[in-house]
Amino acid sequence: MNNNPADVRHPRGPRPVWGMKLLVLLVLLVMFAASGCGATPPAWFRLNMVEATKQKLTPEQERQVATVISAMFGTPDNPVALPETGLDEAKLRLAAGPVRSDIVGRKNGLYREHCAHCHGVTGDALGPTAAFLNPYPRDYRPGIFKFKSTERADKPTHADLTRVLKKGIPGTSMPSFALLSETQIDALVEYVKYLSIRGETEIGLIRAIFELDEEAEGKLPETREFLVGERLAEVVEKWKAADTALIDVPEMPADIDLVESIAKGRELFYGDKANCVKCHGPTALGDGQANDYDDWNKYVVEWTSKEVNGDADKQWVNRAHRVLDGDTLEPRTIQPRNLRRGIYRGGRRPLDLYYRIHAGINGAPMPGAKGTVPPEDIWHIVNYVQSLPYELDGELGADRPMVARDRF
Amino acid sequence: MASAPIGSPSTVRSTVNGPAIVAWILVATTALLLSFGALVTTYDAAMAVPDWPATFGHNMFLYPLGEWFWGPWDLFLEHGHRLLGATVGMLSLLLAAILFRRPASPALRWLVIAAMVLVVVQGALGGLRVILDDKTVAKVHACTGPLFFAVATAIAVLAGRRGRGDSSGPATDRSDAVGRDSFVAVGPLTLSLPSWAVGASLPTALAVAAYLQLVAGAQLRHADATLAASTFRWMVAIHLAGAAVVTVLAALTVIAWQPHESRTARRWSLAILAMVGGQLLLGGGAWLFTWGLPAWLQEAWAPAEAILARSPRGAAVITGHVILGMMILGAAVVLALEWGGAERLEQIARTGIRGGGRRLHGPQARLVPGAVTVRPRSERGAR
Ligand code: HEC
Repeated sequence: MNNNPADVRHPRGPRPVWGMKLLVLLVLLVMFAASGCGATPPAWFRLNMVEATKQKLTPEQERQVATVISAMFGTPDNPVALPETGLDEAKLRLAAGPVRSDIVGRKNGLYREHCAHCHGVTGDALGPTAAFLNPYPRDYRPGIFKFKSTERADKPTHADLTRVLKKGIPGTSMPSFALLSETQIDALVEYVKYLSIRGETEIGLIRAIFELDEEAEGKLPETREFLVGERLAEVVEKWKAADTALIDVPEMPADIDLVESIAKGRELFYGDKANCVKCHGPTALGDGQANDYDDWNKYVVEWTSKEVNGDADKQWVNRAHRVLDGDTLEPRTIQPRNLRRGIYRGGRRPLDLYYRIHAGINGAPMPGAKGTVPPEDIWHIVNYVQSLPYELDGELGADRPMVARDRF
Repeated sequence: MASAPIGSPSTVRSTVNGPAIVAWILVATTALLLSFGALVTTYDAAMAVPDWPATFGHNMFLYPLGEWFWGPWDLFLEHGHRLLGATVGMLSLLLAAILFRRPASPALRWLVIAAMVLVVVQGALGGLRVILDDKTVAKVHACTGPLFFAVATAIAVLAGRRGRGDSSGPATDRSDAVGRDSFVAVGPLTLSLPSWAVGASLPTALAVAAYLQLVAGAQLRHADATLAASTFRWMVAIHLAGAAVVTVLAALTVIAWQPHESRTARRWSLAILAMVGGQLLLGGGAWLFTWGLPAWLQEAWAPAEAILARSPRGAAVITGHVILGMMILGAAVVLALEWGGAERLEQIARTGIRGGGRRLHGPQARLVPGAVTVRPRSERGAR
């Protein structure tokens, strides 16, 4: 007989010991969920380790560059826009920092919300998802941009970058941000410029270490005159000049005979002045020269093959390889565009194509026709390129498929 | 409906099973809560409200409804998530109060206690995420959510069974119903199923795998922008491998449950497989909306326009991927418990994991005095 109430409630056995185990299990699960991550580290700008290693900076020199650059530009949460940069700090503050939307009608941290996963907090194209993208996301630090209305070596205008953000880049992972407000896009463009100016200034500082004379003892002068007046100004000047570097586009003749123009364009395309055929191939499927790299990848490839492996200092070679492993992505060749698909990354307006053909594509092997083809004739090439996705006759013949998708 | 077994602590039975109804309401509310949570992550809206537990200084419940409902989208999501969270917390309390006033099986009680602990921890994590503005906390918060959902589902299943008298007496022999015929015909093939493949083992494994998949997915969704590309690559690889494991387990479950006597059970297993199929599609869609077409696909086909970031369609696909993942978890829990696993769980709750029906499905006798008796398979066939 048993009149212990506890036993009455649990007639079938001893009280469960299972509770403790459940708790342990819970704790384990929560730990599992949190594994591999301590508290989130504050966002920081990474030093350009590839350039620093390439220039064989000592650790002290690396530290100096990092300190100087952060004094000039602030941190990802606290950007600084020196008046000399011409950047609008209020816009930067909207784009920078962690994501917040607790002020009605305002979202802060836009860059980290929309861009940083691919382009990286530093704008070094080393965001977590970067390795999955083909083409890789753009690294802003060298200050080279492809799709713009300015001459090849010039910076893009504010409007060019705005257009890229609004339209996205078809055929790549870069989406269109057309759903964001004008203010937000404006802030993001400003922030991209900020990261680019910061990155290019940093590269300039690292390289400047090698132009130092003996008495500097490997240390950069920390004067405003040198840092801002020389290094920063050099970069900012180029951005300021963009608005005056617009490509001069002649009006397309209104009475142009399209059939004739296309025929002329075709001639130029295959001729040896423009020589588009060399890369885009006789079929224009983009199957010409295909073993080239764009500037970003070439930089890595050349450094690896020529300099790193040929160096006598084995310790440095090891260090360089570590940097290559951690701070670069597997180099990829660039494919000349298949022009029969009608997908244009820089925009598909005739004007966009004019810019591309006139100036070439900065950072890519695609050369400009400027100088070899008279400005008016470039319109003929534009017309021919635009006809390519629809071209049904020609020398291709039945065994040469018209569009890439027919090949599969 | 079975009559109450003799010796059951409760012989009074109404047709309305209060606890089960409350439990299923809890499950549904939690599903909505988690959907809001997933949307908060998709739209990066967690910091739409700067304080916690207050909302802009207001008591959360007194924050003007109109301002919330017609306010900015981010605020709608975040404050809505908080209101739902509070509702789920109160429903859990209510359920606990009901269940603890009545006789309930130990398993049910322990699950309710677990739910209470989880709901409190989860609320605190949500608060910390905001107060510290910390993504790591957000990550853990995202992993605890589905765990609570699974527990709530388990409670609802057990409470429902109890209402039907299924677990109030000595466990019935349902657990070996699946194993009764261990041969399955798949097309022209006849498969002989090993003993581990029958009963609740597969759906249990499926539930665990589905949960771990949600955890892996949460790591991807909450990846910090400073994370190294190489680390992220591993995380994606793990999530993809997890998808393969879940798919295989779901398919195996369907095969193993073919001979089951209950049509509902067979259909339930098929439904899970269909959900997993849909989940693979949504996962592919989520990939497309975040990263665009992979290069090898672009060669064959690509749109002439860029993807639109933050489009409602994209947000629906990406968030839907999270929600369907949670549904798969819940469905696997139901399948595991409703047809076989409940007895085992009761067994474990009564006697601890070691004495528990560890090999309930094996051909062996007497596990625990007074508990279920399982006969060897040869004997069963002769029945
Ligand atoms: C040295 C090789 C080379 C030559 C010569 C060349 N291209 Fe290109 N072209 C490329 C490469 C590489 C790309 C892809 C660039 C990129 O993806 O950034 C490209 C891209 C293009 C594009 C696509 C632009 C866009 O917005 O997507 C067009 C149009 C084009 N080329 C037309 C021409 C024409 C017309 C000529 C002759 C005047 C020509 N190319 C000559 C290599 C070349």
